[in-house]
Amino acid sequence: MIELKSVTKRYGSLTAVDDVSLSLRQGEYMALLGPNGAGKTTIVRLILDLTRPDSGYVSVNGIASTDPACRASVGYLAENQRLPPYLSGWQYLRRCAELLDIPPKVAVDQCRHTVELIGMQGREHTKAQTYSKGMTQRFGLGAAILGNPQLLILDEPTSGLDPIGIREMRLLLESLKQQGTTVLLNSHFLSEVEKLCDTAAIINRGRLLVKDSITSLAAANETLEDVFVRLVKG
Amino acid sequence: MKGRAVSSPILKIAKYTVADEIQQRSLVAMFIISAFFVFLVRSCYKGNYVVNGQQLDAATVAWQVSKAAFHFIAAGTMFVTALLAMRSFRRDRDNGMQACILSKPIDRRQYVLGKVLGLWSLSIFFMFILHGIIFIIASINMKSFLYSYLLASLLSSFNLLFVVLAVLFLSLLLTDVVAFLCAMGIIIVSWVVGLIYNLSQGQMFQALAHQSAGPWSSGLTWQKMVYYLWPKISDMQQWAASLLGGEGFPGRRYLYPLANVLVYCLLIAILLLRRFRKQDIV
Repeated sequence: MIELKSVTKRYGSLTAVDDVSLSLRQGEYMALLGPNGAGKTTIVRLILDLTRPDSGYVSVNGIASTDPACRASVGYLAENQRLPPYLSGWQYLRRCAELLDIPPKVAVDQCRHTVELIGMQGREHTKAQTYSKGMTQRFGLGAAILGNPQLLILDEPTSGLDPIGIREMRLLLESLKQQGTTVLLNSHFLSEVEKLCDTAAIINRGRLLVKDSITSLAAANETLEDVFVRLVKG
Repeated sequence: MKGRAVSSPILKIAKYTVADEIQQRSLVAMFIISAFFVFLVRSCYKGNYVVNGQQLDAATVAWQVSKAAFHFIAAGTMFVTALLAMRSFRRDRDNGMQACILSKPIDRRQYVLGKVLGLWSLSIFFMFILHGIIFIIASINMKSFLYSYLLASLLSSFNLLFVVLAVLFLSLLLTDVVAFLCAMGIIIVSWVVGLIYNLSQGQMFQALAHQSAGPWSSGLTWQKMVYYLWPKISDMQQWAASLLGGEGFPGRRYLYPLANVLVYCLLIAILLLRRFRKQDIV
């Protein structure tokens, strides 16, 4: 579903992503792990063509990432989700539905359903400037799951959420897993990742250290956190 | 069908651009204040004007006031358009809309063209309404409809397209304020060069030029090169204004400003699309 072949991305003298080759199969639930500044968000942005690689090739659904058609069934939640302050959450979702070419009548039903899923009933018509970070994050997630995308790319989805919000997010992601949605999850919450994901790719200083199933990565009595520390520090 | 699929995202983004811009209270306030001041111009039509001891007739007064108002409104709209365009990309970037739109199946070219179309449409609307107020006032005072006024307004809107494209392109390379100042600089230089050229065509200047063999006297000098190659914002405006006097189509020579502005618009649009293609979206 996603394929990166020998991808390198530099910002000046800094190599953010260094010769990374990575693939994500349909139905896979993969976590992208790494310390701050490892290049996780750059990889996500390369997949979505928000930034272009200096070398290498990125494709989504077999289509080059530079072709907008590859994003037809991709949902994306940004790391620092923001909403235009003068729009309400509802207006934001409607805009996203319109950009996805969802017919207006269907869009209303889908947006209403999404508002229920993200637990924002009663707040959807207030302006985004009154939203907390967690509420903004929920509407960002709502926009990402609108139109039932086959591939969901979530960059730090639990960032800014309270413990209840984190739990609700986990339940929502579990239900998406049941539906067979392919997910690329970029997160620091290793305990959440352990509960949700099948595979993990660990990145450090722009290089891919390992990609394997979580069960294969961890030795006996070892948690994902132990594996992470061992690989990154060691 | 394919054409519709391509144009549709452009129209959607244009619609969002207009909707986002009119959310700015400062723009709405500026529009209301401008409309109020333009409305005040009506009192100028009723004054008694004496030039060289001769009282001007009502038709001359109406024509001169309408022409002055036409230029003033066009210049003001160019200024407001540059102000709107300079923040347009940055605001989308800051409130996450740029990443939101471009993570959907929307091409970068469609996004940029949507922004251009939205800003241009809004500025045309802004100018057309203000010109429309003058059109109504002048028509009432002259007791005949000055349809050429609206046509001139539409012609002058090509200058607004130039401003939108230039400021959007410059805002990708420079800070917003510097981009705005550069675009204003281009327009001001265009007026100054046009003014100098018009002065140079005067009898007094021609006589002086023959005596001193000045730069505008004959041959292709660098001053003439600048005059012909610089964006002809001022000449375009003069050409549009020439329609107000009912002089009709002023001739092939006057097509040059339109061609010049359109060629510049095309070149800047190509540069804008190429530059934005390489832009990192945050």
